[in-house]
Amino acid sequence: MGLAQAGALVVVLLAWQLAALGGHPDYLLPPLEIGKHFIAALGGAELYQNIAASLGRSIPGFVLGSFFGALLGLAAGTARWLDRMLSPAVFLTYPVPKIVMLPIFMVWFGIGDLSKVLIIALACFYPVFINAYYGVRQTRTILVWSALNMGASRGAIFRRVVLPSAAPMIFASLRVSLALSFIVMFAAEMINARSGLGHMIRVAENSLRFDLMYVSLLAIALLGYAGDRMVRLAHSRVLAWQPS
Amino acid sequence: MATFLNRALPFAFLGVVLVAWEAAARSGRWSKLLFPSLENIFRELGLFFTKTEMLSEVLVSLERALGGFALAAAAGILLGLLMGRSKLVAALLDPLFSGTYAVPKLALFPIFIFVFGIGSLSKVALVFLECLYPIVVMSYAGARGVPEKLLWSAQNMGASRAAILRRVVIPATAPFIFAGFRVAVPVAMIVVVITEMVASADGLGYQVIYAMSSLRTDRMLAVVVVIAALGYALDKMVVLLRDRLIYWEKLDTYYV
Repeated sequence: MGLAQAGALVVVLLAWQLAALGGHPDYLLPPLEIGKHFIAALGGAELYQNIAASLGRSIPGFVLGSFFGALLGLAAGTARWLDRMLSPAVFLTYPVPKIVMLPIFMVWFGIGDLSKVLIIALACFYPVFINAYYGVRQTRTILVWSALNMGASRGAIFRRVVLPSAAPMIFASLRVSLALSFIVMFAAEMINARSGLGHMIRVAENSLRFDLMYVSLLAIALLGYAGDRMVRLAHSRVLAWQPS
Repeated sequence: MATFLNRALPFAFLGVVLVAWEAAARSGRWSKLLFPSLENIFRELGLFFTKTEMLSEVLVSLERALGGFALAAAAGILLGLLMGRSKLVAALLDPLFSGTYAVPKLALFPIFIFVFGIGSLSKVALVFLECLYPIVVMSYAGARGVPEKLLWSAQNMGASRAAILRRVVIPATAPFIFAGFRVAVPVAMIVVVITEMVASADGLGYQVIYAMSSLRTDRMLAVVVVIAALGYALDKMVVLLRDRLIYWEKLDTYYV
């Protein structure tokens, strides 16, 4: 975390703490109290179980959706017949909130984890597909011509020219799809689950355990932040030649 | 023949999916709870549009989505322009926005329910918050990247600060603002539908849950079709507006 970000965070937390000094409603805890509850929760097993359950849904969904998004996006960007067949359907359904499919997925795949993993995968598929597709399409023609001129095979051109030029956009979309995977995971767990952070916050809400609500919220915020940092780190590692 | 194939190919995929669906529905292997026939879905869709109370559900969802989006657009453009044109504001706000960008704001919804009540306000507030980020980030990027030469030329020709803002900065930022809108509009729909599915007694998201709880898969899918059409139409409207307003730039790309 940069110094500026840490500074901004401290200022906001300090203002929040000071504002709460003159008394606060039950549902708005000051930061110090949230921290106290969070540390207490770290001592028990419940938080870890819920985090494990949530990650057990969001990570497979993210990996599955992003993998097929990248694969089909690259393919549709490269092969014209696939582009004509697949892209209209993808672009047509892109602005549709994928979470509405959750109830029907529950009917098809059961109310267990499978339906949640698949709905997360569906949501993650779209941004990666679209960016991989445009990443291929914006490959500079002159580079392809040069490679052809130097006798590169089609496979070599794809591997050495098209893929590197699409990679930055694919990584950009991975950040979006990771954020989406957390949102959809949390929503699916709030709607229907027996474990996970979304479930935890629902139970806390129903029993007016505001401390647990904030513990769950802080946990999901930290996970979201850490996941984003990891994708950015992977980006700068894999694409070391390119400034991010 | 070749041109015919080219024309037909985009519809081929959709056609195959629909035919496979209908075949699964008619095969009798699965209950109509799993695969209701297209006929039933379309009948429910017809019923949907003949009932005024259903249309009012559409209006409820639309109001929440557009209300939150409009507030986010107003605040987001203002913040983005300020951050882009003032180093001080950028130094203050940029760390806040980039530090919390990856945090799922949806997790705040249970707390918003306590703060703003379980009615529309908590949903509009969450839509506002989720839409604010893409709009601020994109308009900040646009306002920061206004070509220096244009600013210098305008100054050189004696333009006032207000004139520079109106005639140079805003037109140069507009494509970015619309790119932010393009991300934010589907987000608004997602948030409205999710919050209505989680805690609501009206709106389209609630209708999805309600139809499913009554084991009416056909009705649920009819509502899904309505939500899909709405999401698509809103996106198209943003594109139309953009092409109308920003006629000087050719924009047909769609990246996130």
